[in-house]
Amino acid sequence: MTKKENGGTEHFKVAVIAVLLGLLAGAVMMLILGKNPFMAYYNLLQGCGFMPKSKYAGGKSILTDLSSYIDFLTPMLFAALSVAVALKGGLFNIGISGQMLVGAFLATTIVGYSSLPAVLAKPLVIIIAALGGMLIGALIGFLKARFNINEVVSSIMLNYTAEYIITFFINTKYVDPISRQSKEISKASRLTLHQILIGGYRYDLAISFILAIAAIFIVRFILERTVLGYDIKAVGQNKEAARYAGIKVNRCITLSMAISGLLAGLAGASYYLGYFASMQPKTLPSTGFDAIAVCLVGGSSPIGIFFASLFLEIIAKGSTYMSSQAGLEAEIASVIMGLILLTSACSAFILEFLNKRKKIKSEKSQKSEERQGGGN
Amino acid sequence: MNTINTIIINGMSFTLPLFIMAIGGIYSERSGVTNLALEGLQGVGAFFGALAAYIATLQLGSKSVAPYYLAMIFAMIGGMLYSLVHALLCIRFKADMVISGVVINILAMSLTAFLTKSINRTVFGAASDKIILGVSTRFTVPGISDIPVIGAFFTNVYPFEIIIIVVAVITWYLLYKTSFGLHLRAAGDNPAAVDAAGIDVSKIRYLAVMMSGALSGLAGICFAYSISAKFSSDIYVGYGYLSIAALIFGGWRIMPTLLACFIFGFARSAGYQLVQKLELPSAYSDLVMILPYVLTLLLLIFLAKNNQAPRALGEAYDKSKR
Repeated sequence: MTKKENGGTEHFKVAVIAVLLGLLAGAVMMLILGKNPFMAYYNLLQGCGFMPKSKYAGGKSILTDLSSYIDFLTPMLFAALSVAVALKGGLFNIGISGQMLVGAFLATTIVGYSSLPAVLAKPLVIIIAALGGMLIGALIGFLKARFNINEVVSSIMLNYTAEYIITFFINTKYVDPISRQSKEISKASRLTLHQILIGGYRYDLAISFILAIAAIFIVRFILERTVLGYDIKAVGQNKEAARYAGIKVNRCITLSMAISGLLAGLAGASYYLGYFASMQPKTLPSTGFDAIAVCLVGGSSPIGIFFASLFLEIIAKGSTYMSSQAGLEAEIASVIMGLILLTSACSAFILEFLNKRKKIKSEKSQKSEERQGGGN
Repeated sequence: MNTINTIIINGMSFTLPLFIMAIGGIYSERSGVTNLALEGLQGVGAFFGALAAYIATLQLGSKSVAPYYLAMIFAMIGGMLYSLVHALLCIRFKADMVISGVVINILAMSLTAFLTKSINRTVFGAASDKIILGVSTRFTVPGISDIPVIGAFFTNVYPFEIIIIVVAVITWYLLYKTSFGLHLRAAGDNPAAVDAAGIDVSKIRYLAVMMSGALSGLAGICFAYSISAKFSSDIYVGYGYLSIAALIFGGWRIMPTLLACFIFGFARSAGYQLVQKLELPSAYSDLVMILPYVLTLLLLIFLAKNNQAPRALGEAYDKSKR
């Protein structure tokens, strides 16, 4: 237990260093462009309702921004958990975007365009999206287990396949001629209570956020306290050893990808039937890729992921406000995100570096102690 | 008849860039460095190439052919420089190679989008998220092009196709017929033995990854000059991943990989022709777009099992473990 806690704090240190390095690199870029990085980062916080803006439109307040930020955060929580479950099983799920699309598209067409009442529609959206994502995830896992197809390659192929097929159906059947997106879903089926009026102010209340918090603890429970979680982690650490220990490796691979896909499907539901109410053709949601960054920074532990996404989503969500205030392209937010990804990919190296320094320090102090001892 | 010609002409112009990028991937992976970064490398290469061409066109006028070739050179340089990040991460910083590749791709997308917008706004004073290139000129070899079917291979050829074929032959020779190629292939199978022979494994791997960067950059600018006629985020539609699928399908060997690229290229152009022949609405071309991806999956189902990846692929070489 103590060892694990040590690992936790150590990882926390590394994550903070990685994030700071990324932010620093972003700041340097802004300086080159002649902008004030502190102001830009402050604008990010303002855009998410952590800091007050100088003025608000009618019916809006700092809490409106905060509620909208939480609405925006929810899909990322699911998506990052999805990366984590696969990663624990030794698999790299880069197909989250595609799984999000499939889950959300099925839920949109089956429930979103129906006239079901909210009590039925909302749970159905969640179930259908989860199943849709799970199916794709399981397929990727099965292809890996049965045919030895690299999951990265197959999930990318499925990403594009899903993207084009869904684009085809949106454009031929469900397109809204004005917005060029899919038609908006019914209010009853939307997982976010959009712009509801409470005490004179409007809020976006994400129902799925509660589910996301529950998912964090459920995933944690599965990974830490169940046989399945133990098996998945064993396979992730050493397939051959797990096989010798009598664990059904192939079943584990398929299952962990299925769970990962299920979470991705939920991410899709809370994104396309929550934060948004329609789907955009010809676009893979960037959430699926950014989730990898969030998961890496969070040390792929469910609790770590919660804090990592809380922090990193500020950059993504606040970028619109920042770009309007600071006159910077909103894309700089994704550049900063990419830089943080880059530095956190080196976390093993940072860890090694820290340990080396610690060793040198302790050696030095030992030597100086010896010297003092000799003097006496 | 005409349809077959079109399929061949369009198929070749897609196959060859895919192939040269796959060769880059083979270099990197045969040296032991997993390279999912091809997608990002070709995008960054295309960005540098397009920028060079755009600036050169402003200087030299639109009639000059120099921008076209300058674009090729700068695309290779750009791809090579950017690939150094992947090399550093994988070799020096011992990052997970798969994760590093994906990270490189994500960063490439956001970085080029950001730079394109910033440069357009600050330097050229226009709010735009693309760099217009125009479609490359084509040429037809007189005489041979009149032969049925075979002639199509000599009709409406992009100049870059010739460049690619020349580069492909050189890289094939380098990989299979020189001692450098031997060392490179050995570094991916048994790096300890290479090290014992007194050859620097890291150096070989750096060179291999840089090679993949240069070749991917070349492929990227070719796609930009043919399919999209511009540089924009349209370049990131998975060409890099397709070429990775091709090289896995080809068992990390150059000639079988060429075959895989042919299948992808011709499936794609045949699909497009089918949509046109049947006079289907343009939305159907989205359905055709899935052909190469689905085909890849199906082919991998039959082939992945027997495939022999380089033995030390994806492992950072650690001298102390020898």
